[in-house]
Amino acid sequence: MEYRGDDMTQDLRIWKDVQRGQAFDIEVDGRPVAAYEGETVAAAITAAGIRTTHQTVKREEPRGFCCGIGLCYGCTMVIDGVPNRRTCQTLVKPGMRVQTQKGLAKWEVPE
Amino acid sequence: MKDPELIIIGAGPAGIAAAVEAARAGATVKILDENAKPGGRIYSQLNDGFKLVHPGYLGPDYQKGKALLSEFAAVRKKIDYRHDTLVFGTFENRIMAFHQAGKGQRVAFNKLIVATGAYDRPVPFPGWTLPGVLTAGGAQSLVKMQRVLPGKNLLFAGTGPLQLVVANQVLDGGGTVAAILEAGEIDNWLKLLKGFSRNWGLLTDGLQYMRAIRKAGVPLLRRHMILEARGDRQVEEAVIAEVDKDWRAIEKTRRILKVDTICLGYGLVPSVELTRLVGCQHRYSPGLGGWIPARNEDMETSVPGVFAVGDGAGVAGSAMAMSEGRIAGISIAQSLGYISSEEARKRKRPYLNEMKKLGRLRDALDRISYPRPGLFELANDDTIICRCEELTLGDIKSAIGKGTTEMNELKRMTRMGMGPCQGRMCAPAVQEIIAGQTQTPAAEIAYLNQRPPTKLVPIDVLDSLPGEFEIRHGW
Repeated sequence: MEYRGDDMTQDLRIWKDVQRGQAFDIEVDGRPVAAYEGETVAAAITAAGIRTTHQTVKREEPRGFCCGIGLCYGCTMVIDGVPNRRTCQTLVKPGMRVQTQKGLAKWEVPE
Repeated sequence: MKDPELIIIGAGPAGIAAAVEAARAGATVKILDENAKPGGRIYSQLNDGFKLVHPGYLGPDYQKGKALLSEFAAVRKKIDYRHDTLVFGTFENRIMAFHQAGKGQRVAFNKLIVATGAYDRPVPFPGWTLPGVLTAGGAQSLVKMQRVLPGKNLLFAGTGPLQLVVANQVLDGGGTVAAILEAGEIDNWLKLLKGFSRNWGLLTDGLQYMRAIRKAGVPLLRRHMILEARGDRQVEEAVIAEVDKDWRAIEKTRRILKVDTICLGYGLVPSVELTRLVGCQHRYSPGLGGWIPARNEDMETSVPGVFAVGDGAGVAGSAMAMSEGRIAGISIAQSLGYISSEEARKRKRPYLNEMKKLGRLRDALDRISYPRPGLFELANDDTIICRCEELTLGDIKSAIGKGTTEMNELKRMTRMGMGPCQGRMCAPAVQEIIAGQTQTPAAEIAYLNQRPPTKLVPIDVLDSLPGEFEIRHGW
């Protein structure tokens, strides 16, 4: 999206009291974003300062992470070509491709 | 495989306590839980990949959860426990459908315990759909389980102890909290808590957290609420004000706080989708979070053999949830013939006593912190109420103006509640909006009818379901 106002200059992870798993990058709208094994996609993008997960169908308004337990569908994005994936319920994987969802978005049908 | 004698939906404190009692007595038990690990929200465990170095930050709940989970581990071999498993519908002839690992499956139930928990009450106000506005529970899931701060400068707004707990976890993690707004009379519930034992879990922990918040110098503003979130594509500021005893803003006290994140903790709403789907009778109890299944002293609902326990049957905290779960588990073990009625009475007694004690506190707390009318009057005509279908208060009011006073009709007229969240984020508020618009008590406004699937299920999962499913009569 053209303007999203994300401040991506700071890592919002808390390093106290836990050790994180293996580090790798995921791709969010073409940019590399740091992720660690065991994190949800929502956590990884929140840590990177990314707030908008999708743009609504009718009013084209930005939405983001809200309930954290998989029932509000505020945090849905396109993951590996599949729209409407709840990022708060989806764990990061190496090589994962995440995109801000615009409206209903299109499914990428594998060849 | 033979059908289990007891199916439990949900592996939080209530579901696990029930499973422990029933399996210990000898019953065959199957648990279906949506999460990856047992423990529910309050005793949730870190995902694989994370390693816990200092459990202290998880608070006293961690120890209580550990005790319950080790009881569960002791009977684990006797239980068919399915994690990452979503029950998305129940049907005629006591059949239910669930989704596990990409496949749709069916199972018949005789004895059923629904322990589906609760979720943060959705409260519509101008700007509440902006990125950066999240629930206190959502914030907690990030801070506690993912160790990520939801933002750089946080405002908490709500009522009751949960937001204090989460604010403390943010501070402990090195985050910044601009202020905490408590809509109610915090001094009243503090006084009340001091008079009770430490059994209430969350609430007494809340007291400890309060001290830490004071120490950190975070302003705790009593009788204050958020009125509006503003920002260009995400939260940049919050409009707040002092409120009166009905939680209505005192206009001259209106002011602006510069924050980038707003966490809302206005209590919890029970997840009653499955008890509604099964056909249990419900009653409206604002103090317990809204619609709750009617139950007898054994936790059995109006549908014989179907039990409901924990916050999903009325929000009352984890200690109450465990007691309810144990009572249901023991009752079912008795009705299946594994223990005598005398033995069942003996086993139930300590939990009944515990519940009596907790119930008194619950009643008192209700009087202090259940939502006041002002909470449902924050939206203006352009505020989104149904987030999925993008319906505003104006849309809802115009449908009411055409004569509808009932949620299901409203749904058919506007598509309210027909999106992916299936009304979870709008219906509790719409109930109160209709009540306000039509001057009818909220308890008299019939709730949304429930239909399967209760949550989104991929179409190929539905396609993989074996056999026929008959929709429950009387829908």
